[in-house]
Amino acid sequence: MSENVLKINHLTMQFGGVVAVNDLRMEINRGEIVALIGPNGAGKTTAFNCVTGVYEPTNGEILFEGKPIARNHPTGRMRKLYAGTMGDAYRGRIVRNTPDQITRRGIARTFQNIRLFGSMTVFENVLLARHLRRSSNVLTAMLRINRREEKRMREDAMQLLRVVGLEDVRDERATSLPYGKQRLLEIARALATEPSLLLLDEPAAGMNPQETEELGTFIQRIKKQFNLTILIIEHHMNLIMDISDRIYVVDFGRLIAQGTPDEIQNNDAVIAAYLGGDEA
Amino acid sequence: MQSIATRKKPSRAHILTAVIIAAVYALVFAAEQLLPASSMLFIVLKKGATYALVAVSMNLLNGFTGIFSLGQAGFMLLGAYTFAIFTIPEESREIVYQYYNGGLIRFALPVIPALVLSGLVAALFAFLVGLPVLKLKSDYLAIATLGFAEIIRAIFQWDKLGAITNGSNMLHQFPSFSSFNIRNAQGEVVVYLSTLVPFVIAGVCIALIVLLINSTYGRALKAIRDDETAAEAMGVNLFHHKQLAFCISSFFAGIGGAMLAMYACTVQAKSFTSAMTYEILLIVVLGGVGSITGSCLSAFLFVACSEWWLRFLDNTYTIGSFQVPLLRNGFRLVVFSVIIMVVVLFFRKGIMGERELLDLLRGRKGKEAAK
Repeated sequence: MSENVLKINHLTMQFGGVVAVNDLRMEINRGEIVALIGPNGAGKTTAFNCVTGVYEPTNGEILFEGKPIARNHPTGRMRKLYAGTMGDAYRGRIVRNTPDQITRRGIARTFQNIRLFGSMTVFENVLLARHLRRSSNVLTAMLRINRREEKRMREDAMQLLRVVGLEDVRDERATSLPYGKQRLLEIARALATEPSLLLLDEPAAGMNPQETEELGTFIQRIKKQFNLTILIIEHHMNLIMDISDRIYVVDFGRLIAQGTPDEIQNNDAVIAAYLGGDEA
Repeated sequence: MQSIATRKKPSRAHILTAVIIAAVYALVFAAEQLLPASSMLFIVLKKGATYALVAVSMNLLNGFTGIFSLGQAGFMLLGAYTFAIFTIPEESREIVYQYYNGGLIRFALPVIPALVLSGLVAALFAFLVGLPVLKLKSDYLAIATLGFAEIIRAIFQWDKLGAITNGSNMLHQFPSFSSFNIRNAQGEVVVYLSTLVPFVIAGVCIALIVLLINSTYGRALKAIRDDETAAEAMGVNLFHHKQLAFCISSFFAGIGGAMLAMYACTVQAKSFTSAMTYEILLIVVLGGVGSITGSCLSAFLFVACSEWWLRFLDNTYTIGSFQVPLLRNGFRLVVFSVIIMVVVLFFRKGIMGERELLDLLRGRKGKEAAK
């Protein structure tokens, strides 16, 4: 049974003349760990930002669990500048969701350059992410009529801290943690929004080989525990080859290869992109 | 592990905080009964309570949500006018609105509903202004809100609206703080409440703001201040929450304006200048951006300095035939500015930084435990 969680059709993101993502196509099935790799500046994070609603794509559509979360086609000045080939394919209704709407629908993310809330403790960082599943309004929250909900939020947050093993440092300032723990905290915070699809943007950046290996086991564990589908950007090839079911490779915004880890390792185009071989 | 996940019994620091606050109220009440009513202390306390509320409401925006708004005077004006317009007794309206045939409104509300109404009017305007303005960032937002305050001030002086706002003439005859004093049949004051009442109003409002800040919504506001992108990615609707903070802040600024009207006994649009916003901003910065306790403390210090302790600098002194140099009208403001510069230069985070009274008490307890 392969059910599409995320489907990206002809996604193009252009900043003026720079084509960061060009006609990207991807499909992620439920329960998979899919990796998106490519050299620096290939457009991986831009693709993430399109999926999470930070950018409005120039062209193409993104479907989450069968429903569009973004759909656009080049208009105005971009029609003349447009570099993709499928510019006429999405004449239909333009769909634009803000990042918070997308998170509410079940896509959570971490950031490449860690973005924790600096004035808050570790515990509060996770607690905040429970905010979007609230049923209280501002008055009931202000007058403490939502006690039971607040208590449950705190218990949920504590539970998540235990999952990532940060319950000992829960009262420390989030930004005072060592780098690796900050990355774990970002994952815990993302999990607190109850996602079905988790996007990890270079979760192993700055980690040593041993930590990276532990992270791999950890990702597989939370995938099972929370019933997740995971899309991961990473440069640590060992990690990627270990944990991912399928790999997409992009270079200069274009998809150059896709397949299982074995297929990718022996793909000429991928080797050329990484090692700078002949332009075949 | 249970301590955070479930509610625990109030700690010693919590109890101490409650005791300190209760003691302040008791002291205010006692002082009022014992000291002569004309004492400078009461002017400072009344105005200080008013400014404390407005400063805390501004801190909610600037300190906790990270929205740099300079519209505070405008919302205070709305609150002050709403309160005055709806509480002037019917029989006084002919005198107050003498150029406008007694004005349009022919009824008077009791004080408490009028206070709430003045907050609501300010919040309503904040909602409307916020629709376009909150899409702006940092300094642009500051300029837009400053502009709003100036426009409101001009509109309220407009002759055509005179039947409601009394044009550029002042509104008076409405209840002031001293109408809360309990008098006997001969008109003598039995129990003085004119200072306690502003303390109670400001206290209730500040308590509500503190409750908001410590709720899940308060955390969302702090998240927006720390990192908008991350907050949005965590599902916090930026515009909705900013709008919320803006309206709530303005609601309490409106009540603060109404209190200022009660303090001054008169309302005139031309007194709600941008200089008033700067004074409040100064209180917030001096007290510590992001500290409620700091805003309250510095509001009283600020008012005491500007109204009382530095007054002597404005009078010329002669000892024998020697006239003390520099002391003359206006010198107070020079000294005041120097003090402010010193504070800003050497206490960059304000008196309290981001700490609260509770943290201070906890800190001392922590140190004792370490010994």
